[in-house]
Amino acid sequence: MALKPDMKILVVDDMSTMRKIIKNMLKKIGFTNMEEADDGATAWPKLEEALGTDAPFEFIVSDWNMPKMSGIDLLGKVRNHETMKALPFLMVTAETEQGNVVTAVKAGVSNFVVKPFTEETLRDKIAKIFVG
Amino acid sequence: MTDHSNFLAFSKPYIEGAKYVFETMIQTKLVPGKPKVKDASDGLSDLTSFINISGERNGEPYQALLVLSWPYETYTKMASAMLHEEYAEYNEEIADVGAEICNMITGNAKRDLTGMGYTCIMAIPTMIEGKGHKLKYPEGTTIIYFPIESDHGSFVLEICYSETFSEKKGR
Repeated sequence: MALKPDMKILVVDDMSTMRKIIKNMLKKIGFTNMEEADDGATAWPKLEEALGTDAPFEFIVSDWNMPKMSGIDLLGKVRNHETMKALPFLMVTAETEQGNVVTAVKAGVSNFVVKPFTEETLRDKIAKIFVG
Repeated sequence: MTDHSNFLAFSKPYIEGAKYVFETMIQTKLVPGKPKVKDASDGLSDLTSFINISGERNGEPYQALLVLSWPYETYTKMASAMLHEEYAEYNEEIADVGAEICNMITGNAKRDLTGMGYTCIMAIPTMIEGKGHKLKYPEGTTIIYFPIESDHGSFVLEICYSETFSEKKGR
C-alpha cells in the first residue's frame, strides 16, 4: 500500500486540541489533504458522503473515547461496510491496557497509537500501516 | 483508604503520568511540591479540568477524581507550547487543552493502577472556567493537593479518592 502525500485523511476526535495536534503532526510528516470530524457520529456521514464522490477518504485517524460514537464503534461500522471495509484505520487512545489492544485488534484496527505521542511515533505508526 | 501513605501510592501514577504527558506534549519538566490534604470547601484557580474514574480494588468499589487547575497565564502559555501557536490570552480555541491533558494523564495512570490491582473506568473530562470557582467533590472524598512548578508557571494537581460505598457498608 503506497504512502501518498495527498492521501485524503479524516481526523476524528471530540477534542479540538487533539484534532489540531494530529493535523499539525500530519502536515509536518508531509500530508496535505486532511478533514476533521468531532465524533464518530459526525465522521460516519462524512465517510459515506465522500464515497459518492471522486474523492473518498483513504485513511482514518480516530480517537477511541468519544461521547456519541466511540472510535471502536466507528471502526466496527467501517469494517462492516462493503466498500469501506479495507480502509486503513489508526486508533488513537489514552488508555494503554492490554485489553484495549486486544479489543482493537479483534475489531480490525490497522494500528494504534497511545497518547501522548510525538511526531516520530505517529510517523512510524503510519509507515507500519502503509509500508509495512 | 484512610491511610495517607496508601493514598500517596494511588496518587503516584498520576504524578508520573503528568510528568510524562508534559514532557512529551509540552516539552516541559514538572516539579511537584509537597502534597497536603485539602479542605473540600477551598476554591480552585481560573481554569480547571477534571475527570472521574471509578472501579474496584479487591472487589471494593471506589471513585476517584483527577483535578488540574491553572491561572489564566499559565494555561495560555502551556496551550501555546502544546499547539505550537502563540495565544496572548485565553479563548475558545484553547478551551479544551486542559481536558485533553487530564485525559492523557489518566490514561497513563490507568496502566499503573491496573498493575496495582485497580479496575478503572474513565469518564469524559470536563472543563470549568472562571475566577474563584469551586468544585463539588464526591461525598466522603479525601483530596490530596500537589502544587506543581513548570517553565510555563505554577498550577495545581489534585487527586480525590472516595470509598463511599464501602463506608456505607460500615468499613
